[in-house]
Amino acid sequence: MVNITIDGKEIQVLEGTTVLRAAEQADIHIPTLCDHPALTPFGGCRLCLVDVKGARTLQTSCTLPVTENMVVSTDNERIREARKFVLTLLFSERNHFCPYCQVSGGDCELQNAAYEQDMTHWPLQPNWKTFDVDASHEYFILEQSRCILCRRCVRACSELSGNFTLGVEERGADSSIVADLGVPLGESTCISCGSCVQVCPTGALIDKKSAYLGHDVELDKTETICVGCSLGCGIEVYSRDNHIVRIEGNWDAAVNHGVLCKAGRYEPLDAENWDRVYTPMLRKDGKLKAATWDDAIKTIADQLKKSSKTAAMASTRLPAESLYLFKEIFGDKLHASTVTSIEEGMNTRLTSQLAAELGSPFEGDVVEVDKADCVLVLGTDLTEDHQVAGFFIKRNMPHGTKVIMAGCGENAISEIADVVLEPKAENYGELLQALSAALANKPFAALAKAAGVDEAAMKEAARILAAANFPAIVYGEDLLKKNSLNTLKALVELGHLSGTIGEQRNALVSVKGKANSMAAAQYGLDQAMDISDEQAVFIALGDDCPSQKLIKNLEKAPFVAVQASYISQLTANADVVLPVTNWAEQKGSYLSADGKLQAAVSSLTAPEGVLSNAAALDKLAAALGFDLDAAGWKDELLKQIPAVVIAE
Amino acid sequence: MNYRSMVLVSGDPRSMERGAREVYNQFQREINALGLENEVSLSWVQDVGRSDAIPLAVVYPEATIYGPLKPEDVHTIVEEHLYKGRVAPGLQAPVRELSGHIAWISARKGTLPAEQRIILKRAGLIDPTSIEDYIADDGYQALANILTDMQPKAVIDQLKASGLRGRGGAGFPTGLKWQFVAGTPAEKKYVICNADESEPGTFKDRVLIEGDPHAIVEAMAIAGFAVGADEGYFYVRGEYLLAQKRLRLAIEQAEEMGLLGEDILGSGFSFKLHVHSGAGAYICGEETALIESLEGKRGEPRARPPYPTTNGLWGKPTLVNNVETLANIPPIMLNGADWYRGFGTAKSPGTKVCTILGNVNVTGLIEVPMGITLREIIAIYGKGMANGAHFKMAQTGGSSGSVIPSTLQDTPMDFESYQENGVSLGSGALLICDENNCAVDLAIVLMNFFRKESCGKCNPCRIGTERAYQILKNIAEGVGTTQDLEDLKFLSKNLIELSNCGLGTTAGTPLENILQYFMPEVEAHIKLKVCPTGVCPMSGRKAYPETKLAQLEEA
Repeated sequence: MVNITIDGKEIQVLEGTTVLRAAEQADIHIPTLCDHPALTPFGGCRLCLVDVKGARTLQTSCTLPVTENMVVSTDNERIREARKFVLTLLFSERNHFCPYCQVSGGDCELQNAAYEQDMTHWPLQPNWKTFDVDASHEYFILEQSRCILCRRCVRACSELSGNFTLGVEERGADSSIVADLGVPLGESTCISCGSCVQVCPTGALIDKKSAYLGHDVELDKTETICVGCSLGCGIEVYSRDNHIVRIEGNWDAAVNHGVLCKAGRYEPLDAENWDRVYTPMLRKDGKLKAATWDDAIKTIADQLKKSSKTAAMASTRLPAESLYLFKEIFGDKLHASTVTSIEEGMNTRLTSQLAAELGSPFEGDVVEVDKADCVLVLGTDLTEDHQVAGFFIKRNMPHGTKVIMAGCGENAISEIADVVLEPKAENYGELLQALSAALANKPFAALAKAAGVDEAAMKEAARILAAANFPAIVYGEDLLKKNSLNTLKALVELGHLSGTIGEQRNALVSVKGKANSMAAAQYGLDQAMDISDEQAVFIALGDDCPSQKLIKNLEKAPFVAVQASYISQLTANADVVLPVTNWAEQKGSYLSADGKLQAAVSSLTAPEGVLSNAAALDKLAAALGFDLDAAGWKDELLKQIPAVVIAE
Repeated sequence: MNYRSMVLVSGDPRSMERGAREVYNQFQREINALGLENEVSLSWVQDVGRSDAIPLAVVYPEATIYGPLKPEDVHTIVEEHLYKGRVAPGLQAPVRELSGHIAWISARKGTLPAEQRIILKRAGLIDPTSIEDYIADDGYQALANILTDMQPKAVIDQLKASGLRGRGGAGFPTGLKWQFVAGTPAEKKYVICNADESEPGTFKDRVLIEGDPHAIVEAMAIAGFAVGADEGYFYVRGEYLLAQKRLRLAIEQAEEMGLLGEDILGSGFSFKLHVHSGAGAYICGEETALIESLEGKRGEPRARPPYPTTNGLWGKPTLVNNVETLANIPPIMLNGADWYRGFGTAKSPGTKVCTILGNVNVTGLIEVPMGITLREIIAIYGKGMANGAHFKMAQTGGSSGSVIPSTLQDTPMDFESYQENGVSLGSGALLICDENNCAVDLAIVLMNFFRKESCGKCNPCRIGTERAYQILKNIAEGVGTTQDLEDLKFLSKNLIELSNCGLGTTAGTPLENILQYFMPEVEAHIKLKVCPTGVCPMSGRKAYPETKLAQLEEA
């Protein structure tokens, strides 16, 4: 611990803390612009200057590490003058004509800083030069006029998302933010994660959707989790008048620490354009007609009662509570012939099987991937799905993290990976065995050949893995496509051999389908679906999109009931449709791929007549005369030995 | 082999076009014919800056320049000069001293009254492509002594005792810097030679490297030994192709002889050197920007602390020294701290290599003892002001120096005396201006340079230089206001105080100097709408009615 005095306050902080963070701990406010807690200190804006006793010049508190007995003053005439100078220059650099800017009036950190320094004007001439506006991007606009070149966006792009799209071109007064080598943002390698927009202190990077829809104080903010994939990233939903204005990453979230991908930040907003199911519908004379909830539920209950063979499938996007009710109704009470999820969960079926065999969980925390110095990615494209896990890998590569890609296809990560292994005919089992053998200095040529992988590449992969102190393995669904428990066992063996699974840490991670695939697995809702001569089928679709395969499979079914948020081919073909809430309108629990049990909170109010998934299922249970134990969802979740330790 | 004379033939492309190859061959034949091959060495030299007399040959030790030569002239030179020992009549190049290129530095010690040579001792005298030449002139002896007899601490102590201060511009005590790096425990450390000499008008480092590359290589090895580094980098300005080539060759030769590489001279000390070419950014001469650039990133200065001495290249303790600073190391180690203190002043010992340019009769490269005055330099080395004009001001250090008014002409040029007067020595260029130059114009030129070369990282420098340039432009166009003076003061003060690195600080300095020493001249631009020297365009004058201008001029 280091003792330091800031504005007369004596405090103790950890060694290596910057003066700015130390001041924050002491509740002393220092104005900043280029600083952002999630990014490495930059020291460019010079607004956070402080007076350090003994130093000749003012020091930037954001970059200055504390030293023993340092005496700091954060406010005096000299500092105030310096801050005014910095702000004066910034206002005179580009076209900061506030009334026309969407963040003006509370959301602009530059404007706020000026108000804080009691600035009413700036003495230098404004700059009359014009600057470019780049509106080519689908989701946001880069307005160079408002840019103060703090480089937060550039740092976010590289340090948070590991995408390295944004940079600075030219130098001095000609400096400007640029995508790639000077292409419009819309044509660049940008992956629309939006981290740059979230960190921009001014109106230089503004969201197309939320621009001019209100200042932050006028919006409702809800902290919840993203249900876009199985990672469970923390988000903040900004809404107004029951509409989502924008979504931001939650800086305090355990998984993502503020980072989001396109699927988490922008795609949920696209759903507002989809057609909702607002009322229960019943097929009469071949046509779907609006009906009452009671009629619709009664029809379903009657059909289910008389059906000799029933299939029921639920989306893994539903909250755990709803999945549990679904399982109780169709499994425990109705004993339907097929009770599963629409993704069928082949992956979790095997992991659950292995966990049962081993008697304990064998997978670890996805956050370990962010800390790893070597990552082996197997059978998943992390630039498509579970992108945040991909960010964990890419953003650490400049710091020396080695990456081995096996069977992930061609993507932005494999382009820069250290070793790429492409097994032929999905021979992952042989590939893993070969890697284990190479790691143990045993002959591996035959196995490598069986896997169809180059021997030298395999050797190099083993060398990298052996040299790693903190290896991590991420695997996806493709790995177990052959439905082989042996492949999974080979993987676990490699995990132990490479030190990925150890006493102190477990960095063997799998990405699992959708937001609640893990919960579905715990409820046993991960069986293969086999629909042939079913008389009645019930689909708890929620706000999920039905796959073409599912739609096709159900074409011949005599009776199909669907509870869904949006109109789709599936609802169009159904006999009964129940309107239910989407992710933003319902609350519930989600079990992430790495076992984090998190609560989602509703940020919007459901339209009238639309019930939550759980409420709809409750109604159905009542009509069927079942007495359900809704509170039992959590015990049931922990009953089966999971692949990963469940933590709240 | 000990040669009595040395002949350098210009081998630059333009000389080659004009038959330098034939001249060289003819020299070879004539020397062999007279059996002088063991007494006279013959080699090529690159661009010598005398396009009026190419192809040419320089004969040392007399430093006589012959040119332009035809093969048939060679016979006379060899017979008269090399055989009989007298200057061949009628073939000498027209006299023009001190052009600033290697071949033009008069080799004899004491040719000029105040001249004392420490680091330019060999430049122009020995064949820079020959390690044997360097070794024959005490080269690598300092390294050998140190590796066999001395501990790193003793090396640093001797350096501290010598009082050597960094020649890159800031004047930080070199021994102290070495001590900081040596005192930081780390498994890996680096030594970097900053040869990204980008100040307009300076070429001292280039001459040092091109003329005596082994001296710098030796100094790097000594530095590596003293601070505990086993790897070093030369960061050489991109345009200095010859310097890079010479360094690469020197490293190769030293490695071949076991003076670099593994286990040097059986001492157990290993040292590896690399040459890295800069890519044309002035800011990369700033040590932390240089390190960023070496790491492959955009050349931008880092925030300090931490300093490179603890967190430098790849986060490892790193010593960064200027070429000229390093060139002082072998002589200090060889001759001792007391010997070194015999040069210069008590607090700034040693010599300074400067380029002298501007309105003087003779321009070029000079090595002067610290503490010499500007008046002496102009009178002795510059052979007086050109065209009998009067001295008005001087700009030290290319761009990153101060503007020295005539009142400081007699101030000793050393770190302390200059600092006391609020000006700085800069890195070694003396731009001498006579009364026909305008102070505002000089400020514009400098500010234009800084605004173009600012990296853009910190606000004071990025925006401050741009705003200052625009204001100065307005003044030069005759549309300046008295508010502009306030704004300039506001800008210069804060540029110096608040910038992240030396570039911003030095950008504010000339502005401050001009406002301090040439205020009447600046005010004339603003209040009278007149440029006293007639240099500034004052094109905005037409914005004012004639009657008002007449009124102003009368006042």
